[in-house]
Amino acid sequence: MNIVIPFFQQCNQTPDKTAFVEEEHTISYIDLKTGIEKIAAFLRIKQVRNQCIAIALDRGIEAASSIYAVLSAGAIYLPLDIKNPVTRINFIIADAQPAFIIGIGDAPDWLDNPAIWLDLSQLPLTEIKGIFPVLVDKNDLAAILYTSGSTGNPKGVALSHQALMNFSSWAQTTFKLNQLERIASLAPFHFDLSIFDLFSSLASGATVYFLPARLSLSPSRLTAWLSEYKITTWYTVPSLLSFIALKGALQTTDLSHLKRLLFAGEVFPCPHLIKLADLLPDTELFNLYGPTETNVCCYWQVEHQRLTVEQNIPIGYAACDADLLIDTESGELLVNSLNNFSGYWQQGKLQPLSTNYYPTGDKVALNTQGEYEYYGRLDRMLKCSGYRVEPAEIEQCINQLATIVSCAVVGIKDLTSGQRPVAAVVLTGDATLSNTIKPLRQQLAPYMQPCKFIVLDTLPRLANGKTNYQAIQRLFES
Amino acid sequence: MKQHIREFIFNELIFVAEPEKFSDNDDLLEAGLDSMGIMRLIMHIEEQFSVTLPDSEIDPDNVKSFNALEQWILQHKA
Repeated sequence: MNIVIPFFQQCNQTPDKTAFVEEEHTISYIDLKTGIEKIAAFLRIKQVRNQCIAIALDRGIEAASSIYAVLSAGAIYLPLDIKNPVTRINFIIADAQPAFIIGIGDAPDWLDNPAIWLDLSQLPLTEIKGIFPVLVDKNDLAAILYTSGSTGNPKGVALSHQALMNFSSWAQTTFKLNQLERIASLAPFHFDLSIFDLFSSLASGATVYFLPARLSLSPSRLTAWLSEYKITTWYTVPSLLSFIALKGALQTTDLSHLKRLLFAGEVFPCPHLIKLADLLPDTELFNLYGPTETNVCCYWQVEHQRLTVEQNIPIGYAACDADLLIDTESGELLVNSLNNFSGYWQQGKLQPLSTNYYPTGDKVALNTQGEYEYYGRLDRMLKCSGYRVEPAEIEQCINQLATIVSCAVVGIKDLTSGQRPVAAVVLTGDATLSNTIKPLRQQLAPYMQPCKFIVLDTLPRLANGKTNYQAIQRLFES
Repeated sequence: MKQHIREFIFNELIFVAEPEKFSDNDDLLEAGLDSMGIMRLIMHIEEQFSVTLPDSEIDPDNVKSFNALEQWILQHKA
């Protein structure tokens, strides 16, 4: 098996069809294959099988080709978020211990060991010997996606070829993808939504259009772009769909080609979803649910007539043949699926799991129609603009600042982006808040920056001595 | 007007350590104003100043600084 095999099969069937479009740059299936084989041939000489290879490239044709090459050579891809603060990138590299980092140009300053940098533009000519892709075991790892960790550090979710294949095939079947599809890709490759854009797409013979990132700040240009390229399918986050529902000039933009919108990552605010459904009556809308560890394990096709302002939509029914259980005491959703991750990647190796059922930390219940409904987190995790954010990771950064005694991070509800982190801090002696937190801008990714701070003399505590997060939450909400 | 927008952005949307040192030309997008922040900002401005900002003009160029925002709003204020 290998997750990239369906793409290679498509290359035989439709070699001249366009695979990727990025701005003015387009590439056919057969040319893409040639480019992939060139990189893969070089990697094979370096004996990278089952080793982790990081990709330090922005979403686009070069990054996608590198990912396919890494997989074709039997190695594991790790997409870095190169917009992350350097301290976070360095933590991830030190933890993942990649054999190589693929990029373009000279090794960046933040890289301690430039010997592992692989400049795509200076790739030595390698004779392409043998057949790609190499065959791997279904349990061999394919991808490591770093996500926010409750221990205070990012953690790598390791996904096998089988896990990616199971999701990719389910999506192809469920959404009836075919060669006529024109799929928009906006999700960064370190985000699990991109598994759809990278694999379900090319396995179906579709064309992927990389949506220019700057358009996410110009909703009406974004919808004009969807119209111009006659996009048929787009998998994105609710916050962006809210933006285009409210400000995307949908009344005057022809999106008659748009067959379906898939969304995941956070709860879709109902008033905005209703607006979107009203403005796009012929577009199917799907709510997909699942943490990175299980990928999509539930889905619900939006039934327009059931939408109400007061009630969140269900997460629906089991997806990807997942076996779902609800813990009778806590209401926590437990997931056993072929999609499930193989374990966390830590210090350069896989830490295997002890149980088949992944505890999601999400509270759910079945409604009278037999659909799953989501009732929030059992722990402190936040969802901010689709990103998963562990308050502990922010607290760890704040606690390392020079004049901090202690801190607590909680989430406040936000009309548009779900939740946003806010922080209560206790400072030393005569320290000022502004001086204390100045370095945070360099240390935290933008979506992790607290949007408000309050200074307290002491953090409120519960009787057992633990931080009283609910009391802190109330301080921010009052 | 600029002062009001300043307060809204710094109190509700992004946090900067020293707002008084943030100039009217400093880059709000670099300071962390994202697509969701822009959406809330526009809805707030439209309500507060009884102005309609056309969807077609929502663009990084018009929201990148306090000066850019002010200029944009004034163009649409009768």
